Amino acid sequence: MSAGLYVHVPFCVTRCGYCDFNAYAGLDHLRSRYLAAQVREAELAAPEWLGETFASAFLGGGTPTTLDVEDLQALVSRLRSTLDVASDAEITIEANPDTVDRAKLSALLDAGYTRLSMGAQSFDRTVLESLERLHDPDSVKRAMHAAREAGYANVNVDLIYGANGETLESWERTLRVTVDLQPEHVSAYALTIEQSTSLGRKVQRGVVPAPDADLQADMFELACEVLGEAGFHHYEVSNWAKPGLECRHNLGYWERRPYLGLGAGAHSYRDGRRWWNVRPPEEYLSLVESGRLPVGGEEHLTPQEEDLEEIFLKLRTLEGIPVISVASGVALGFLEQGLLRMVDDHLVPTERGMFLLNELVLGLAS
Amino acid sequence: MPAVTEPTRIRNFCIIAHIDHGKSTLADRLLELTHTVPDRDMREQYLDKMELERERGITIKAQAVRLAYRTSDVDHELNLIDTPGHVDFTYEVSRSLAACEGAILLVDAAQGMEAQTLANYHLARDAGLVIVPALNKIDLPQANVEENRRELAELVGVDPDEVLAVSGKTGQGVTHLLERVIERVPPPSGDPNARLRALIFDSSFDPYRGVVAYVRVFDGALPSRSKVRFMATGIDSDAEEAGVFAPEATPVTSLDAGEVGYLVTGLKDVHQVKVGDTVSLAGKQRAQEPLPGYREPLPMVWSGLYPAEGGDYTELRDALDRLKLSDAALVFEPETSQALGFGFRCGFLGLLHMDIVKERLEREFSLELIATAPNVEFHAVRGDETIVVHNPSEMPQPGTYDRVEEPIVLGTIITPSEYLGPVFELCQSRRGELLEMSYLSPERAEVHYKLPLAEIIFDFFDQLKSRTRGYASLDYEPIGYELSELVRVDVLLHGEPVDAFSSVVHRDKAYGYGRGMVERLRELIPRQLFDVAIQASIGSRIIARETVKAKRKDVLAKCYGGDITRKRKLLEEQKKGKARLRRVGRVDVPQEAFIEALRIDKGNRTKAGTRS
Repeated sequence: MSAGLYVHVPFCVTRCGYCDFNAYAGLDHLRSRYLAAQVREAELAAPEWLGETFASAFLGGGTPTTLDVEDLQALVSRLRSTLDVASDAEITIEANPDTVDRAKLSALLDAGYTRLSMGAQSFDRTVLESLERLHDPDSVKRAMHAAREAGYANVNVDLIYGANGETLESWERTLRVTVDLQPEHVSAYALTIEQSTSLGRKVQRGVVPAPDADLQADMFELACEVLGEAGFHHYEVSNWAKPGLECRHNLGYWERRPYLGLGAGAHSYRDGRRWWNVRPPEEYLSLVESGRLPVGGEEHLTPQEEDLEEIFLKLRTLEGIPVISVASGVALGFLEQGLLRMVDDHLVPTERGMFLLNELVLGLAS
Repeated sequence: MPAVTEPTRIRNFCIIAHIDHGKSTLADRLLELTHTVPDRDMREQYLDKMELERERGITIKAQAVRLAYRTSDVDHELNLIDTPGHVDFTYEVSRSLAACEGAILLVDAAQGMEAQTLANYHLARDAGLVIVPALNKIDLPQANVEENRRELAELVGVDPDEVLAVSGKTGQGVTHLLERVIERVPPPSGDPNARLRALIFDSSFDPYRGVVAYVRVFDGALPSRSKVRFMATGIDSDAEEAGVFAPEATPVTSLDAGEVGYLVTGLKDVHQVKVGDTVSLAGKQRAQEPLPGYREPLPMVWSGLYPAEGGDYTELRDALDRLKLSDAALVFEPETSQALGFGFRCGFLGLLHMDIVKERLEREFSLELIATAPNVEFHAVRGDETIVVHNPSEMPQPGTYDRVEEPIVLGTIITPSEYLGPVFELCQSRRGELLEMSYLSPERAEVHYKLPLAEIIFDFFDQLKSRTRGYASLDYEPIGYELSELVRVDVLLHGEPVDAFSSVVHRDKAYGYGRGMVERLRELIPRQLFDVAIQASIGSRIIARETVKAKRKDVLAKCYGGDITRKRKLLEEQKKGKARLRRVGRVDVPQEAFIEALRIDKGNRTKAGTRS
């Protein structure tokens, strides 16, 4: 079974209000040590992953494109020389539209980053402000243009819907602009309020209203409609792709394939064991620099946890789960309600079912 | 052991006062003044022993304490009988009063008379007690001694000079008050040579010694160890010990005519020792006639108590059984609710009694409970047959009975006259009928209303307080059953009636109740995978409807980056939440929705006057 490689870059220019990822603004002085440590971590982990081929890699963050292009080139080549990364591997890099230009993108493509994921979030200024995103909507268009000129043929546009102030009309404009940019892949996420974020605290204090679930459902339906009409294939709750251009790396998570995570706070999974690195970059650095794996915790999945993960991950995609694996009575109910459908001998969520996935999972897993 | 006291040197008295008018503090001063409690052991509200009582500042169980006081070379035995102070316990109050010859009528010099002052004054006067009026808290800067002295003197029919002014807090005037009690209150007049007749004015349960009765001996003598007969229940028992509280329990060889003390009955079931019963000796020594005034305790308010966790049913049953040992007024029977599972329909003397029982169950037995909205006992009459309804969901459907009757009370309200308008308005809105109104002074009025009990067990008292800026006070007593236009309103979830939400209300208020309930539930019922209709109905007629729209979003939108552990844990949490849902038909209802929907009614209910 092929594996995935995740590389976490925790640096950001600023911290966005909604983001609860392990990312930091103002830690740029740690960059070079951090890059060296990631390679060192790969070396420490390599013996354990001997014989495993990485069919995909994903540079996520944070904002990986805040790093210098030379560093990014070096990183991918050092990782290739340490781990068995397939020659035709899908290697995605997340890009903030303000941190890339044509020259940088060309260099990245040459270095082996085959896929670009653009953090557009919205094309509506009000929505971007509400999300505390600094970029101008037009910069996404420029970055997209630059990517095409650089030769990128596999680009994702990341969108978030349901922020305070966003209307169905505004969301439709964002979707239309996205379609006009002709990306190969679109990820559209319903904004989720995380308590630990500054936005989460504002919602708790009542300064900002929590997203309206019904409006988000309307927005989800609109995305299904607009993206479907534009020839995108809705293959996971929040992901649409032109046929054959699904994100192989993310599919790996949902198909429960093994993955190795490098960097501060990164998670790894293999053979029923999941472990995660310490989150603070300084702590990560000191562990790796002293020659130790920076593991902060681990778990071994119990059979019940395995079952639950099998259902909730596989049911996110059109792969679905074998009908034989769940109680038929519950499944039948969901089929009748139009939340599931049968594809051969598998239960697959309908689009309405995808947006009620927790209900499906909790019904089927009990 | 205390020596036998001449009846002429005995004084049995109590203190009657409204809540917060300082009864417990005055009692503390009396204990100090008579050196009944050594200084080092003295603590505030000494007589209110139970933890629960101390916190609420009220007295559940009457106690009697013996004080020794010497005036002009005469040693007096003073028995201070502590009376319960709430309308729920009117009968118990009347029995405590019956054990006395006199009462201190204590009124807060800043607050003036209140409804309970008046109600208890009338009870005491009817019991033939000599009243010693006194104003308390004269140390307060806002005390209005002259005005309240006049009012109190007028009520009692004495010269204003005879109303004493004291401060329980500083002790000012307390000696004078005590001497006034000795001077005015007559000594007990029973016949020491007649056959034993002792009134039980309270009882309690001691886990080691069984049921202890608090008694006042009227005739004859009660030897410490004797075979006694409880005249109303017809039970004979070998009493183990007689004694007095001084203030701790102290055995005596016998309790003689006129004395007050306790009797360790040798019985284990508090229901065999009833307040108001007469103790005599068993066999040939038995008295001919019991003392007058015995009455069975009558539950007035009913509520279903259910364990919040279904599995705790057995524990709740055991806890109620245990509680019943010390609470003769508590009645309960098992009942089943489709919505709440297995529980008990419990009868209480009133709302305070209900609160106390519920709190003791939760506190002493660590139970988490759901209480249904309190209701009164309804009578559905069909021909010669009367169907007694303790649970609204058992009320027969319209058309299957001739008429319904509900309990009626006589309510007494004292209010500053400037708030008479709002008081009238409130009483009218609660189906009240004005019977009488009079002025205590140009500024204060007393009104008597006939009111359905069902109308005052909800937010009546809170409403009364808020409409009179806290100045009005309320007392009520049941006066029987009357015909009424009552209907049962059911609440249906997705077509299924939810028994816990059924209520019997007046026809004119059915719509308002139904509307309120469905609106409240619309906020409390979580969205399901289908539209849920919430309806209120009378019989087959729907009177209100709301819809909880089907849920459309329940998904973890973003799920990659490898932190699947956290997502799984979120789902596991959600799953635990689902396990706490109760299923009513097809609808999943969280526990909290029941508690919340029923709690609002509870929050609304009467805390009708408490006397301290």
